[in-house]
Amino acid sequence: MRGPSPLEQEVANLLADPQFEGHPLKEALSQLWGAHHDLLGRIERIARVSDGYQSIAREREMSLAARFDKQLRQLEKVARISDRYQLMMHDLNASLREASTLDSLTGIANRRLLTERLREESERAKRYARPLAVVMLDIDRFKLINDEHGHEVGDRVLIEVVRVMEAEIREQDLCGRWGGEEFLILMPECTAPTAGAVMARLGESISALGVRVNDNLLGVTASMGIAELRAEETYSSTINRADFALLRAKRSGRNRCELAD
Amino acid sequence: MNDFSIPGSQSTPAIHSDWEKGVVSMQGDSYPENSYELFHQVYDWIERFLGQASHPLALELRLLYLNTSSIKAMMDIFDLLEAAYQDGRQVAVNWYYDIRNERVVELAEEFKEDCTFPFSIQSHD
Repeated sequence: MRGPSPLEQEVANLLADPQFEGHPLKEALSQLWGAHHDLLGRIERIARVSDGYQSIAREREMSLAARFDKQLRQLEKVARISDRYQLMMHDLNASLREASTLDSLTGIANRRLLTERLREESERAKRYARPLAVVMLDIDRFKLINDEHGHEVGDRVLIEVVRVMEAEIREQDLCGRWGGEEFLILMPECTAPTAGAVMARLGESISALGVRVNDNLLGVTASMGIAELRAEETYSSTINRADFALLRAKRSGRNRCELAD
Repeated sequence: MNDFSIPGSQSTPAIHSDWEKGVVSMQGDSYPENSYELFHQVYDWIERFLGQASHPLALELRLLYLNTSSIKAMMDIFDLLEAAYQDGRQVAVNWYYDIRNERVVELAEEFKEDCTFPFSIQSHD
């Protein structure tokens, strides 16, 4: 509330002065004075109401802004956490894929991965009329090693043989554990005689292996059967022929490599 | 006392409430088709508990994977607990993780960030 202006003060003084009592101008001035005050009051009321509305609108804007900020922070947090969950799933997927395609003992391909690659490579070999050799390799008298020295030694033999196998095969070849003590070596761009040469070398390296058991060195040998994919056969027929050649190698005294018919 | 128990499935966690003990437990993976439907009864129950009961409330969590809408739902629940805590209520979250999956710790830490009420992250066997 502002104080009275000099003019207002003067008008008030004039109206209060008894010497103007009964003067016609005093009556008119007094009415004008009343109307002036009504107007002033009304203007103040309007200003108050208007200020009130303005502050309500302002409060609402502030609370909306606060809610917006909160939602935004929450959204950012949800996105951040969600990204991390996805990353976790992605990594879990990768380790699952690895667990599902690799042999847990030796770390080389398992039967699932071998089968997948066999299908791909045999299709490719047929499409481009390229050679593809499949080798079945079996560690000789493995059951005996397990029975006499225990599974732990058996496992070590498997790991050692795999190490030698990985060292002897060519870069483009894939060797994997087919089951038990039986391994499959997939050799793309390779004829049966070439595979025979690689396997002869591998056979020598395996028989040169000595797996230490207490104070003794345990000798290991392996037998192999080789088959080359034929244009008209499925890869499982090739595997069967390699298996049959392996059987022949076993029957003719082990520690040798036989070519399938 | 209007407790509920939802059996878990491959995509939804098992959820169980105990008004008497003041415990809500949730365990498993959470990527439900309709997470609003699943979580709103949990949210409602907690809201009712905080409004009507006066004894402490604890959330026992053994959650593994959460999809985005489940994360949002959990944050809403934690906000509810935070507000109650600010009002002087006794609330707590115990988040248990499997030692074999330690990355869950980092995620639980993220949830914990804005919470001032007791929020423990501990391993279980």
